Amino acid sequence: MLIHIRGLHRVYQVGAEQVHALNGVDLDIDRNEYVAIMGPSGSGKSTLMNIIGCLDTPTAGQYRLKDQEISSLSDDELARIRNQEIGFVFQTFNLLPRADALHNVELPLVYAGLKHEERRIRAREAIDLVGLTDRMKHRPNELSGGQRQRVAIARALVNHPSIILADEPTGNLDSATGEEIMAAFERIWQQGNTVILVTHEADIARHARRVVRMRDGHIESDAPRAAGTQPAVAT
Amino acid sequence: MNLRESVGIALGAIRSNKLRSFLTLLGTIIGVGSVIAVLSFVEGLNRYVTDKLLSAGSNVFVVDKWGLITSQEAWEEARKRPDITQSDADALSAGMRHAALVVAQDFTQAPVRYRNHVMKGVAVRGRGPGYEIIDDLTIDQGRHLTPFDDQHRRAVCVLGPEVVEDLFPGLDPVGRSVRIGLDTYQVVGVTKAKGKLLGQSQDRFATIPARTFQKYRRERGSIEIAVKTVDQASLPLAQQEARNILRGRRHLGPGRADDFAITTSDTWLDLYHNLTGGIFVVTIGVAAISLVVGGIVIMNIMLVSVTERTREIGVRKALGARRRDILTQFLVEATTLSVSGGLVGVAGGVGLALLAGAVSPLPAAVNVPGIVLGIAMSCLVGIFFGSYPAFRAARLDPIEALRWE
Repeated sequence: MLIHIRGLHRVYQVGAEQVHALNGVDLDIDRNEYVAIMGPSGSGKSTLMNIIGCLDTPTAGQYRLKDQEISSLSDDELARIRNQEIGFVFQTFNLLPRADALHNVELPLVYAGLKHEERRIRAREAIDLVGLTDRMKHRPNELSGGQRQRVAIARALVNHPSIILADEPTGNLDSATGEEIMAAFERIWQQGNTVILVTHEADIARHARRVVRMRDGHIESDAPRAAGTQPAVAT
Repeated sequence: MNLRESVGIALGAIRSNKLRSFLTLLGTIIGVGSVIAVLSFVEGLNRYVTDKLLSAGSNVFVVDKWGLITSQEAWEEARKRPDITQSDADALSAGMRHAALVVAQDFTQAPVRYRNHVMKGVAVRGRGPGYEIIDDLTIDQGRHLTPFDDQHRRAVCVLGPEVVEDLFPGLDPVGRSVRIGLDTYQVVGVTKAKGKLLGQSQDRFATIPARTFQKYRRERGSIEIAVKTVDQASLPLAQQEARNILRGRRHLGPGRADDFAITTSDTWLDLYHNLTGGIFVVTIGVAAISLVVGGIVIMNIMLVSVTERTREIGVRKALGARRRDILTQFLVEATTLSVSGGLVGVAGGVGLALLAGAVSPLPAAVNVPGIVLGIAMSCLVGIFFGSYPAFRAARLDPIEALRWE
């Protein structure tokens, strides 16, 4: 099992009040699954994503990633896991504005401690994979929204992580470009990657093969994609 | 962490905002620049002093009435002392075993005339035999003054080349007569040019025998006695010897202070070092203040930069940057900034020193340890004042940072 979550709680202290963002979540995700985590805002999906992405640690409960307990790790150990095992794709792309596409894609490899030449080779491969070979010397502000997100996807893929974790990846794109990006995720998944999609849009969630719905800090439903709701774009 | 990347980011930020960067770095530039400029001057002076001022006067000490006067009280006290006379010089000459040369000397300034040519403000020196060794003078035409000239108080003189150029254009001065003040002297020699020392010509003089000087120019009054010892080792012995002889002549009992002064080149060197040491301390003070101010400005700019780039920090952390990666990145950036200022300061300081050296008599020499020191200081400023912003950046929570707008 790639992800093994049992009895996960996350409590935030907001002033004098305690906010229970996660209230006993159990979730297993296997290798090469394509999962969408859905839910309205405040349902706890972002908190769950942050914990799965090792940006945050749970207040209580168990989170094992590749049979390693994450809850007790130090900041630097979490950073190493993020670097090796997680590929983030954000709603707002989060590319470094001053760096060109190639350099943005290289960034995780910098923190992985790779040598310059090897970084270049692998970053080029990842950029080729998302079809931006002729754009790799461009800076983010010289790229369209769709192209930026493809750079971000290349960046997420470059270190061959166990999980691609996408947070509303189409939220800032028009629907046609959004479909393009979803097609890219489909390809990535078919190549054997594990993709976890966090979204509140049903249109986006139906691209996944399994949908986890959240409400009030716990999982409301967890089911394979309903039959007959094929993705709009052929893959 | 990628050093090149951090340096690149910092240099890019400097380039993209030149005026702001300049203002940011002004404190560091001034701090480092002033240190370099002053060190260059001090270095230049040091070389000058050791090369020129002291080479001729090695193994020489001077006995006079005054010594090194640095206060009104000392001067009042020294006024009451008995004069040093030619007979003191003769006594030293006769009594000292460690002296190679004992030369009586006196100075004044007077106009020198040849026919209708007048040169004002010529240094007139009355010197005993052996003066040419102490003054490091070589003769160009004619001859030096001799002991015979001195004994017989002959009205003869040796002129510096600048005086000759001015008074005898195109003429051979040897054998001709000049008037120094009101008296007429025969020119017997011309020395070779020595050039300038600290902007002062060393060739604008007329030297006459010491006894001639006393006869015509100053019958009473105190003279100086320059003593050159056999070698460096006998310098202290010779000073003691001279003291004993003079104290004996003046019947100074035990417990009474010397009523004359002995100065060596070391005396002047000490004074010189005190002066330059003072300059040095003041400069270090100015530099320290500038660097602290510069450092605070850099810290401020780095704090702004950390805030502006909160999201970037969040992204880097999400992608696997550890605390120390972020810390290093911002420290390198701060240091790159401050070292850029340091380099500009070094260039400015050296430029200033060389420019001043070119247009004024002040000598200047590039002081390499000073440059290294300047760059090292600016580096330390960057590290010290960059630490706080860098720690703040490193401590940021990745989730908060990613959410930051």
